[in-house]
Amino acid sequence: MDTIFKQFAEAQVKCLGYDLSHTLSPDLSHENLRAVFKSCNAHDVKTVIKRGIQNSGVGGSLPKEEVQGWVEVYHAYWKAVGELLAIQESSTANGKSSNSSWSSIYESWKELLSALIRGYLTYGFEAWTIPCLYVAGRHLRVFAIRADTERSNNMSVESTAEANFEDDFNPESEKNQMLEDCARQLNRVFNLCLSDRAPIEHSRKWGIYYVINLLFKTYFKLNSASLSKNILKALSAGRGDMPALISFPKSQQVTFKYYEGVLCFLEENYVEAEKHLTTAWDMCHKDALKNKELILTYLVPCHLLTTHTLPSHKLLEPYPRLQKLFLPLSRHIKKGELHAFDLALQGGEDEFVKRRIYLTLERGRDIALRNLLRKVFIAGGFEEPKAEGGKQVRKSRIPITEFAAAISLGSQETLDNDEVECLLANMIYKNLMKGYIARERGMVVLSKSGAFPGTGI
Amino acid sequence: MPTSVPPAPGAQPGPTYSTPSYQTPAFTPVQVRQSFGQPYSASQPAYPSHNFGPHPPHVPQPQTNYPRNVITATAPAPEPTKKKIDWPESVRSYVQRSFLPANLDESVTRQEMEAKLKETISHANDSGVMYTINWETMPLPQQMIQEERSRVRAVAKPVSALTLSKKSPAVPQLASLSLSSKKRKSWDVAEAEAAAAAAPPPWRSNAASRLEDRVTFSPADKRLTSDETTAKILSKSQKQMEKRQKRFDGGYKSTYRSPSPPPSNGPVVGTCQTLEKRYLRLTSAPVASLVRPEPILRQTLELLKRKWKKEQNYSYICDQFKSMRQDLTVQRIRNEFTVEVYEIHARIALEKGDLGEYNQCQTQLKALYQMGIKGKPIEFKAYRILYFIHTANRTALNDALADLTPAEKEEKAIKHALNVRSALALGNYHRFFQLYNDTPNMGAYLMDMFVGRERLAALCNICRAYKPDVPLRFVTEELYFESDADAAQFILDYNGQELLEDRDGKILFLAGKAGVLFEDARATAFSRIDIKGQI
Repeated sequence: MDTIFKQFAEAQVKCLGYDLSHTLSPDLSHENLRAVFKSCNAHDVKTVIKRGIQNSGVGGSLPKEEVQGWVEVYHAYWKAVGELLAIQESSTANGKSSNSSWSSIYESWKELLSALIRGYLTYGFEAWTIPCLYVAGRHLRVFAIRADTERSNNMSVESTAEANFEDDFNPESEKNQMLEDCARQLNRVFNLCLSDRAPIEHSRKWGIYYVINLLFKTYFKLNSASLSKNILKALSAGRGDMPALISFPKSQQVTFKYYEGVLCFLEENYVEAEKHLTTAWDMCHKDALKNKELILTYLVPCHLLTTHTLPSHKLLEPYPRLQKLFLPLSRHIKKGELHAFDLALQGGEDEFVKRRIYLTLERGRDIALRNLLRKVFIAGGFEEPKAEGGKQVRKSRIPITEFAAAISLGSQETLDNDEVECLLANMIYKNLMKGYIARERGMVVLSKSGAFPGTGI
Repeated sequence: MPTSVPPAPGAQPGPTYSTPSYQTPAFTPVQVRQSFGQPYSASQPAYPSHNFGPHPPHVPQPQTNYPRNVITATAPAPEPTKKKIDWPESVRSYVQRSFLPANLDESVTRQEMEAKLKETISHANDSGVMYTINWETMPLPQQMIQEERSRVRAVAKPVSALTLSKKSPAVPQLASLSLSSKKRKSWDVAEAEAAAAAAPPPWRSNAASRLEDRVTFSPADKRLTSDETTAKILSKSQKQMEKRQKRFDGGYKSTYRSPSPPPSNGPVVGTCQTLEKRYLRLTSAPVASLVRPEPILRQTLELLKRKWKKEQNYSYICDQFKSMRQDLTVQRIRNEFTVEVYEIHARIALEKGDLGEYNQCQTQLKALYQMGIKGKPIEFKAYRILYFIHTANRTALNDALADLTPAEKEEKAIKHALNVRSALALGNYHRFFQLYNDTPNMGAYLMDMFVGRERLAALCNICRAYKPDVPLRFVTEELYFESDADAAQFILDYNGQELLEDRDGKILFLAGKAGVLFEDARATAFSRIDIKGQI
């Protein structure tokens, strides 16, 4: 404990939020945890903490209420450390049943977060201390997930779901009880930061993006990404008083932009998604391979749909996983191998679905088809030149049957002409091909200039 | 001309059944919540009565002068009528008349009468008609009780005669019991018992951590448990407190609203023996006596299936199914029966286009199947995919895909739904309409919901791609209209009259001239998917 108070005093004197937040970390070695916990007992813990803070060299300069607030925070921390120790010890002494569980750790950690929130609301904690909220929030999420896993592994434990008066049960909330609660707690923190009216340099608003990112992460995990929309709405409502995103730490900017992009992606707003993801990509630290990989997972399908471009080998070189995901598809799209494309899509379906990019990649088939039709067009050759030395003109009237033959080339399945026409109509409608179908004559009449826009012919 | 107007895509199902009130009740309404006693309910235990002379009814008491009896001494303290109310003469004489020996009915116990009187008078008082009611013509309490009994019998008898006669002290026995049992401790116990049996207050049925409440009683075992006896006195004062409170509320609201129900930590076990029950949204912890246990619910389901077949009254059926689901949920019953209830409700809702209810059922079914409970997962997973196609919910669609095993993907219904999905994703309307023609199970009800907008989309495609024209017949076949007339009507509905031309007896659709005629309608159709209860 004494070390904690020493760090506490140093951080308080210099107003170093991150240093201060280290004193609340649960990531300590077993010995250190034990040292903290054993330094006092349940009876004298409050006195010890109070004396510790007051004698730490900064105690005298802190307002009385603030000292009181910190006493409560460290008291909650001490209790949580006790719970952590208990579970560590019970796991080493295997077979011995213990009362402690991740849910009790979660509960005690929640107390810590609440004590901090109270500190800001009633005891006048200053805004530079917000990294403490980060530590508390970050670990709360981790503990919640562990508590949920623990409960689902241990089905015999009666669910402690509160009585709700719904007519149907809610399977999701039973599975993720703690994490849902965690989302509520984080939301409190979000509002704590959002609603601070202090001048911007002393405002808790500087904590907002960290909390938002935590919330997004939690919502995605809860499979309710749509809730993130509410956060974005609240954020844009107060954007006027908010410091610009650009003035926040880069790590927070990148994460935020990534989530913003993925949210747009899920709503099929690929143009916006591409914008946000590109920002994130450009700003991402060059060595953060994992993060870059995540960004590319969505950025590549975005590009495919918006600009019909495929990732280069060089781009994907550092990411073997992405190569496996995208390269086969890219190859088939490029060559217009329709059937092979279908097979590749099917083969990677599980992986694509897991990453929520299946439905987007599926649309790549249009590009593959376009490339195939383009080949038919090129193979058709040129018109008989009308005059010597005249400009060569490609044959622009192509029988439906030629396209039909090309489409069934890979699969060996014959489509009837009506279905082929339907596919062609789609190409025309989507502006991937210029021209029209003359049904009576069984012909497609393609535009003489730019029959396949954006492909050079 | 057969109806050719497609169902407006994404349109809300008509609101007719959303109101809980039945226009044409297909059943005798059973009072579920508001009555005080229901001492005649099937689960009602026999309780001893007394044959002493008249004594003051336990009602908001007019200070009448009819003979008082010693028994009043044992009456529990707080009379709700201690506050001064000037009872009109008419009420007093009504009470007196009720207890005239000539008017007494042997089969109605004194307690029931008192309860009824109390209810009648306090209701009159609460609703402010105390002075306007004609008390001279008001039926006597015993008459009202008899009438209610015969009503209940009419409802309960045909379906649950067996349960009634075998498993609980049935109505007819009541009279003899009340005559024979001379011995009783005090009338208030009897009344409290009646009250306790009919309506245990929420705080009691809540305390489900007690073992008794967790044990599922066999229906034969519906007696008072020991803790109910201990709770009698409490329950009585509780009731009176509520009554008083209610008076101050000034309205006639939920009778069983306890001031602060402690949080329950276990499911209730229902004791209600009535088959049918109106749906009411829970606003407080469930009351065991109003919840039907599984054996009763099984009978209910059979009854509802018959009724649905016979009467097709959706508002009634939906209401009944909702109350069934509620009873299942509060008792945490999750087994094959639960699945069956949800499946049947889902199918009925589908048939009637009630997507809100359908979706609620589907969400539950998904979870139930995931728990490994048997049912018809293939059928419903296929519906699920079609449903998310309809709502254009890509995230949910992705989840639905993630939920499928490779084996399931090969099942006919699911394969069909998946093909529908990919056909639409790729704009292959040709294949889509072929699939529409060949939909397994009840999937067509779902596809009907979005076939209109897909026709518009296809029409937009055709208009852009074909020049100068196509035979109307082609449109009919590609978009799977019943007839050329239907196709023409569809085009006319969107102001396409200029695009139809009769040439040598053949009707042509001038696709090349359509321009962007159908584009707006298409955009609207795809943007308007807003469904109640959608997740």
